[in-house]
Amino acid sequence: MTDVHILGIRHHGPGSAHSVAEALSTLKPDLVLVEGPPELDQVIPLVTDPDMVPPVAGLIYAVDEPRLASFYPMATFSPEWVALRWAVSTGTPVRALDLPAAHSLALKSASGVAPAEIPADQEEAVQPDAENSDDDSTAGGTTATDPHQAYRPDAIGLLAEAAGYSDAERWWEDAVEQRSPDPAERFEALIDAISEIRSLDKRPVDHPDVVENNRREAAMRRILRAAIREGHDRIVVVCGAYHAPALVPAGFPPAAADNKVLAGLPKIKVSVTWVPWTSDRLSLNSGYGAGVAAPGWYQHLFDHWMAPEPAGDVATTWLVRVAHALRQQNLDASTASVVEASRMATTLAAVRGRPSPGLPELEDAAQAVLCDGSPLPLALVHSELTVGRDLGTVPDTVPTLPLLADLAGSQRKLRMKASAMEELMVLDLRKPNHLARSVLLHRLALLGVDWGIPTDSGRTSGTFKEAWTLQWRPELAVSLVEASRYGTTVASAAAAFVSEEAQAAEALATLGRLLEGCLLADLPDGIAGVVSALAARTALQHDVPPLLETIAPLARTCRYGNVRGVDVGEVRKILEATVVRACVGLPTACAGLDDDAASAMRRAIDSAQDGMTLLPGLPTDDWHTALGTVASSDKIHGSVAGRATRILLDAGLVDANDVALRLARRLSVASPAPGTAAWLDGLLSGDATLLIHDRRLLGLVDEWVDGVPDDIFEDVLPLLRRTFSAFSRPERREIGEQLSRTESSSHAAPATYLDLAAAGPAISTMARILGWEAPA
Amino acid sequence: MTDAQNGTKVLRAHAENAYADELIALAAVDDRPRPPSWQLSPWAVTKYILGGTLANGVEISPKYLGSERLVEIAVASLATDRALLLLGVPGTAKTWLGEHLAAAISGSSTLVVQGTAGTPEEALRYGWNYARLLAEGPSRAAMVAGPVMRAMETGSLVRVEELTRIPSDVQDSLITILSEKTLPIPELNEEVQARKGFNVIATANNRDKGVNDLSSALRRRFNTVVLPLPDSIDQEVEIVTTRVRSLGQALELPADLAALSEIRRVVTVMRELRSGVTQDQRTTIKSPSATLSTAEAISVMTNGLSLAAHFGDGTVRADDVAASLVGAVIKDPVQDRVIWQEYLETVVRNRPEWKDLYRACRDLESSN
Repeated sequence: MTDVHILGIRHHGPGSAHSVAEALSTLKPDLVLVEGPPELDQVIPLVTDPDMVPPVAGLIYAVDEPRLASFYPMATFSPEWVALRWAVSTGTPVRALDLPAAHSLALKSASGVAPAEIPADQEEAVQPDAENSDDDSTAGGTTATDPHQAYRPDAIGLLAEAAGYSDAERWWEDAVEQRSPDPAERFEALIDAISEIRSLDKRPVDHPDVVENNRREAAMRRILRAAIREGHDRIVVVCGAYHAPALVPAGFPPAAADNKVLAGLPKIKVSVTWVPWTSDRLSLNSGYGAGVAAPGWYQHLFDHWMAPEPAGDVATTWLVRVAHALRQQNLDASTASVVEASRMATTLAAVRGRPSPGLPELEDAAQAVLCDGSPLPLALVHSELTVGRDLGTVPDTVPTLPLLADLAGSQRKLRMKASAMEELMVLDLRKPNHLARSVLLHRLALLGVDWGIPTDSGRTSGTFKEAWTLQWRPELAVSLVEASRYGTTVASAAAAFVSEEAQAAEALATLGRLLEGCLLADLPDGIAGVVSALAARTALQHDVPPLLETIAPLARTCRYGNVRGVDVGEVRKILEATVVRACVGLPTACAGLDDDAASAMRRAIDSAQDGMTLLPGLPTDDWHTALGTVASSDKIHGSVAGRATRILLDAGLVDANDVALRLARRLSVASPAPGTAAWLDGLLSGDATLLIHDRRLLGLVDEWVDGVPDDIFEDVLPLLRRTFSAFSRPERREIGEQLSRTESSSHAAPATYLDLAAAGPAISTMARILGWEAPA
Repeated sequence: MTDAQNGTKVLRAHAENAYADELIALAAVDDRPRPPSWQLSPWAVTKYILGGTLANGVEISPKYLGSERLVEIAVASLATDRALLLLGVPGTAKTWLGEHLAAAISGSSTLVVQGTAGTPEEALRYGWNYARLLAEGPSRAAMVAGPVMRAMETGSLVRVEELTRIPSDVQDSLITILSEKTLPIPELNEEVQARKGFNVIATANNRDKGVNDLSSALRRRFNTVVLPLPDSIDQEVEIVTTRVRSLGQALELPADLAALSEIRRVVTVMRELRSGVTQDQRTTIKSPSATLSTAEAISVMTNGLSLAAHFGDGTVRADDVAASLVGAVIKDPVQDRVIWQEYLETVVRNRPEWKDLYRACRDLESSN
């Protein structure tokens, strides 16, 4: 007769983990079953690998649709982890028991709401960003974002709360651990309590959570039955406490009933691996359903309980660590204060009627004693100590996708370590290693793996500097898995991804961006794909602004592509053709624009102008002729016409007199003031040199502003303000000073009063010198 | 003299007298362990402060309406050998909480040192009866023990009000008392050793500038609890209502407090001016220099109550509170007046249901 022991645990509960460890070493089973989809079986033997450092997570994903994935995170203090390690290290057979992920993921996919239901208490269904960006209005938003809806109650948490504990782990220690020296007995006692809790569940049988749960428990029982039939002597089952009563063999429903529940479930092909996890993803504030609020605290408890001879009391050692963390932040925390804080925590627990201080008591005591009542210093240490900043690692031998292995290889070669902390990396692209890093990050960015986010590199206009904010988030692993369908190395995947995107892209601007992306990511293969797509698209493109907007990226590709060893001949041909096409269409495209369209057009013209100046030998004559037509037409929106005039003026093709004339004409009373202001904005925006150095223009503008009627002035003011506020402060001051000077000189003349009587003698002397006849 | 008689004769009864029946009831049901010299267990003290119903049906009135957590921390601090420092802006019930803690724990709230800029060292230590000192020479009989010394001898709580107003050198004489729990008397080559149960509750104001900040040596002998201003308007209205009612009884004002809307209005004005934004978060307003704490709202309402009782028909109306409201807001006659008028014209005027308050405040302005 097989002896089955059900250990109902609290996921991520250090107390449960400790009891599980004790139970396993006393029971010495010949088979261990751990809650989790059976697919995990293939990777379980890796848990004892020396390079396997928790927190890690089992990742199961659908091969054909990798974003359909589930994570099974485990920390050192997770009971499942303890059980797996015990079994593998003692050579005991170990298996996972739960509904196969092949079914649960298929069900998820079939329901259309990818991550709405969380199939296991301990897992997180991930919805990568790609999903969010899809305009998927069919997905039920509320359930998808609220994991607690589908989340089964933390049974042990409820029991602890009923007993008046603030911390379920402290309850476990007091109520479960202290009760019986035999760990197996402790779990027996728990099962009864959990059955009570389960009997209070009033949800209807067809509630989706209940259906889900029944399905899972049926699958668990099926695996357990099979194990019993194999004739093991003693089986230990480690599962969430909530499931414990359902797995007691004495209370099993007939096998046929379970088989009926499990019949005809959809199935998909899945793949399984381990990925590194972070302690901050374990914590609640990452929106993780079965998360723990304080992984750092749990780790501390677990280390304390597992130590053969624990040093000191668990609360005091914690406060010592808080004091250390405070000192690292340059805050005073003396040893005497730690003693006081520890005493305070104990008293506080007594005041609150709790048998021992939990984390809330320790935090309150630390705040009152160590931090002078202020919550700020404690917040400083919270993320470091209470949550923790650990990032797990997995050995190289885990079954991994070639793409992930390639990335790991590049990371090693470039000495870039993935870290859960946000850090800034400034790269000097003149150094080969830094250039290679930059290329890697750009490639990953193209693939949608945002490990690095480009940041402002500070006050430098040099093109050799690049700054990135690096932070590795576990869900990036999913993005990588998803990207792996494009290729087996980061480079080939990025190139294939770009080519595919280029074929699908409609807008020229997108293609331009892809082209630049290829350049930065050093993807010559990708460029070929984008260029051929561009050639096809530009020929068909009738709209002028997109054409104009492609000029700058293409010109940049030509200009800098050579430096990076890209063949730009083809690109240059497309560029020249694009410029000619844009120039032909420009004058007609500028006619009849409203304000919004005009501002879009102006941006396009500006960007094209940037591109034109970048590369010598482009057909600039055509460009300037087109701009000349735009500038001289009175039918074209002021903003665009003013801009064209400015570009021509800067190029020296229109002289200042001409501009003054046009300005005067535009500013005359007959033309409507808002149009005039827009023209002025087009002409002046950018930098103020024009106004500062050309007094005439300034005078004209000044005169016009003076002459605008009051009611119209209010309409014009915002436009003018926008124009002038773009100037730098010294420029504005200079303009102001010039204006006040003009004003005083123009007003000075008539204001001078000539006292003829006083000046008489001087005038007559003057006249005499000049040989004039002095009046008598 | 019984407490009831006492309550009718003195202007303001001590906490332990005013709530004597509650303390007795609590002691009767309190079977939890008590720290040495404590009249009640920490649990019962917390119950006394926060209020509630006892197992035997006795209703305990809440003394402090606010975070339960803070009260628990304060009580737990006193049970350790660190002293308690209550910190907060004026009017956040620091003194009030201190007095009730002393009453509940030691049965007496009368051992107080009022900190001022001129508090001498004698107030914290001991003084001399100079006639006796000259006649008999130094002896214990010629000594005049200060409140701290008496608390040490009896093992009870002593309160030090406005600790940061006391000059730094005088503050520092507390260090030995707090760390070694002894008070040396060098003149007699003797010392007073504190009995179990002795502790200090100090209050300090973290708003005033130019006060004598605690030295870090002294600071680390205190556990600090920062008392906040009430979070919600309902909580603040409740605090004001409770306090005004009990003050009204003490001052024997026959007015009724049916006009709860007046309290809500005063509290709203105070909160809005304090936070610099109107209740609906729509309009930004300037904040005057006054603290405008809950205590100010209480005094405005009590004043209004008194006006209504003696000069009106007993119902508190807008014109009863207007004068003291304006007085509470305008502490700086130039700047605060501008701020108040701005508030009056931009906020109060636009609330149709506040027309009477607007009129009353405007009448005050014109009569000035």
